Amino acid sequence: MNDLAAIVEKLCASSRKGFSDPHAAVEWPANLDRDQWFMSPDLISLQGLPAYDALPESDRRTLSFHEVVNFFSLVLNGEKFLIQGLTQRLYREDLGGLTPYLHHMIDEENKHMIYFGEFCTRYAGKVYPDKKLSVPRDYAPGEEDFLFFARAVIFEDIVDAVNIRLAGDDRVCPTVRRINRIHHEDESRHLAFGRALLREMFGERAPGWSPETLSRVREHLSAYMAAAWKEYCNPSAYRDAGLPNSYQLYEEALASSPAARRRRELSARCVGFLVQSGILLQEPVL
Amino acid sequence: MTEAEIKRALHEWIVKASGRIRPEELTDETMIFEKRIITSLQGLDFVLYMESLIGKNIDIQNLTLHDFRNVNAIYREVLGKLL
Repeated sequence: MNDLAAIVEKLCASSRKGFSDPHAAVEWPANLDRDQWFMSPDLISLQGLPAYDALPESDRRTLSFHEVVNFFSLVLNGEKFLIQGLTQRLYREDLGGLTPYLHHMIDEENKHMIYFGEFCTRYAGKVYPDKKLSVPRDYAPGEEDFLFFARAVIFEDIVDAVNIRLAGDDRVCPTVRRINRIHHEDESRHLAFGRALLREMFGERAPGWSPETLSRVREHLSAYMAAAWKEYCNPSAYRDAGLPNSYQLYEEALASSPAARRRRELSARCVGFLVQSGILLQEPVL
Repeated sequence: MTEAEIKRALHEWIVKASGRIRPEELTDETMIFEKRIITSLQGLDFVLYMESLIGKNIDIQNLTLHDFRNVNAIYREVLGKLL
């Protein structure tokens, strides 16, 4: 049994052991006290901007609610895309050994969407929609599968870094902390699987790719990581929090030094893996 | 904003974001995604910029990539309908 097969077997056993009812895992208060933090203050996307510094604390807490609704929405939207891709890869002969764990991932991602969707619709009355545009393109042999799983690892790792911080922050709303904690527990397994799979896929496929393909893969993953962080900032959330000039705030948040430092800090584990495994040659500009 | 102002703003955004096309090379009929002048990873930024131009949300779920294929289509199929 190779390393990946052993990891798949171990993770399947762990998923079966931790099988849960998503409708019983979180208690949903009828109302949430809005005068509390929903996002850690230091994780708010506008933190460090003059416009944020000028806000009274009550308005910062209001913003933190809309920020966490945006964060849960982007996770939910990402998981919808992930489930589509995982489902397409079930029972493929060339990926046959993965199928038992893909079933668990699909099940667990579906449960996560229940938590995130319930919070957003129950307390905010909406999920912020996905506004990404999908452009079809051609791929070299093995490139599309590799990019799918690499994007999944990048997305899950960044989200997990935020989950860990939110779950451990005593200032944050207990319901938000609980959801982040549950998500982190499942994502730890998904990340272990994803990293092992990427190492194996890259080792098998990259030697057959042309230098142009390899360069395109690296460029795409670096750009994907930067693009994933842009979803963390949402003009609609700023507008819902009552802030004027929401698009200008979005641009300022993307350009600000404190935000760039936060992105690098929260991406450090993921970047470390990608560089150490040779998938990326250098740290992306975030 | 007038149609001409919106199209001019779209041109400026595309040229700046792309870095792969000169202003004089971009027409209202240039296929911006098909020719990879704008990539899918720039799509979110582009949509948010369009929303800022008209001050309204764009419901992507009811649109296809074809509606964003060039500046004329963006105005005719997306932005013009929201003004």
